[in-house]
Amino acid sequence: MAAKSIGQEYVKGLWAENPVFRQLLGMCPTLAVTNAVINGIAMGLATSFVLILSSLVVSSIKKLIPNQVRIASYIVIIATFVTIADRFMAAFFPPISKALGPYVPLIVVNCIILGRQEAFASKNSVGRSLVDALGMSTGFILALLLLSSIREILGAGTFLGHQVLGEWFKPWIIMILPAGAFITLGILLGLALLIEMKTQRRRA
Amino acid sequence: MNLYAKMIIVLTLVGLISGGCLSVVDLLTRERIELNRQKEIEEAIGKVVPGTKNYTAAVEEKDFTVYKAKDEQENLIGYAIYAKGTGFQDIITLMFGTDPDLNLINSLTILEQKETPGLGAKITNREEFLRFWEDRECGQKLTLRKPAVETKEELSPSEVNTITGATISSQKVLDIVNLSLEQVKSLKNEGKLGGEE
Amino acid sequence: MDLLTILILSILVNNFVLYYFLGICPFLGVSKKIDSAVSMGLAVTFVMTITAVVSWLINHLILIPNNLGYLQIVSFILVIASLVQLVEMFIRKISPPLYQALGIYLPLITTNCAIMGLALLAALKNYNFITTVVFGFGSGVGFTLAIVLMAGIREQLELADVPEPLKGAGIALIVAGIMALAFTGFSGMIQ
Repeated sequence: MAAKSIGQEYVKGLWAENPVFRQLLGMCPTLAVTNAVINGIAMGLATSFVLILSSLVVSSIKKLIPNQVRIASYIVIIATFVTIADRFMAAFFPPISKALGPYVPLIVVNCIILGRQEAFASKNSVGRSLVDALGMSTGFILALLLLSSIREILGAGTFLGHQVLGEWFKPWIIMILPAGAFITLGILLGLALLIEMKTQRRRA
Repeated sequence: MNLYAKMIIVLTLVGLISGGCLSVVDLLTRERIELNRQKEIEEAIGKVVPGTKNYTAAVEEKDFTVYKAKDEQENLIGYAIYAKGTGFQDIITLMFGTDPDLNLINSLTILEQKETPGLGAKITNREEFLRFWEDRECGQKLTLRKPAVETKEELSPSEVNTITGATISSQKVLDIVNLSLEQVKSLKNEGKLGGEE
Repeated sequence: MDLLTILILSILVNNFVLYYFLGICPFLGVSKKIDSAVSMGLAVTFVMTITAVVSWLINHLILIPNNLGYLQIVSFILVIASLVQLVEMFIRKISPPLYQALGIYLPLITTNCAIMGLALLAALKNYNFITTVVFGFGSGVGFTLAIVLMAGIREQLELADVPEPLKGAGIALIVAGIMALAFTGFSGMIQ
């Protein structure tokens, strides 16, 4: 397999290997915190923080960790960064920390992070791992942004708390409820697959 | 060195470094987090018992705390009662302020809720719900007025207004307050609230 | 809060999958056939109940008394990972037929949000010991209920004409959405 250029390493996280839409990872937080754009962004940033730093650390010390204890080590490293993120949010952004609730600690079981350590950071250089983590993070944030924008605009008529749709619009409350999250993500996944299929057909 | 030893050493090191980093982070953030929590309580008390300069917790239980609100001279000017209870979907956390005799409710504020957005969530809205909670007589149990009325004058002094389409959430708030009032009053009768200092 | 209320809350009103969005990966991955869904549900319920016990003990006997709350995330995840390993070995030894039925699902449970989510939620809600155990058990039952219902629907969906892009995860999520909507009807059950 030809080695990817640094640019390709980054871009793949945005679409071709987008963690949510193509790899179907990290769906729990995607559904849970996308009821408002600010929550989606905050979660995306927190997850990115953990992913990027974990990838950096894992990829730096990969040669030192015996194979049998690698998963345990990765988990401790990830959990440490998650705790840091959780604590800092609680200290400096209390309202958002409250809104995100238990979902920030749950970043520790977000399959995207452990998945990237296993699949990439443990096998690639620090530089490449960093770029990979950045790409995946961007892809994740974009996915959260998309979903939360749809849910907030249609569900409350606002974007980042500001009214964007006028008085004439009666919000679709279902969008804020769990049901709306599931259905919107399902449709978005379908759309992603549809676009992928059409692109394949055109190439063939 | 053999594999077994290496495994143990690596795991121990990773654990120690992690523990070390985390205790540093804890030191940096612990106070701030506690301060945030206290600030929230303080703001709420100031809201429901206007003129509060100082406060102490008289009774502290798991889902229920009674604060004594005082002025500069340390006179008791009212009680601020913090309570949690089941709402429609999840827990509702609120605080309401009363006069020192537990006869009048000054106002109510909702601290945390996960009610249905656009419906039950309106319990945080002053215009549609909370203003009907201002200056209520709580000598006896408060009751819920349904269907909802337009103006406050139509309510009797110990009635609160429901939210159209969110009767259950409105009722849940009322239940939490009534239950808390009962608890505070019996605590007062048992002398557990301390003197009027 | 009495135990029956907690049970109803955790199974129906605050359903683990359809309200808290936890355990989506196994929910989507193992809900294609009713048999596997039942097995997964049982495995999860089993592990959840044990996790509820263990996480409560860790929290109240070790972390809180020593002011080590900040180690909660790290200790929980390590304990859960080891717990699942132990449970798997234990079942394999004690009851091979049970292992046949449940065993393969256990590793799948380790790094998924269901179990860690339970430990964290239980710690957040700060119930006493018995209530925590009931909460863990109820959440597991709620998960099982959701996943078995989903499997039943998906078995029927196999025979339906689903548009190509929606096949698999897409339609599963939409179905989950409708189920979540239905479960919202359980709100307000608690007096």
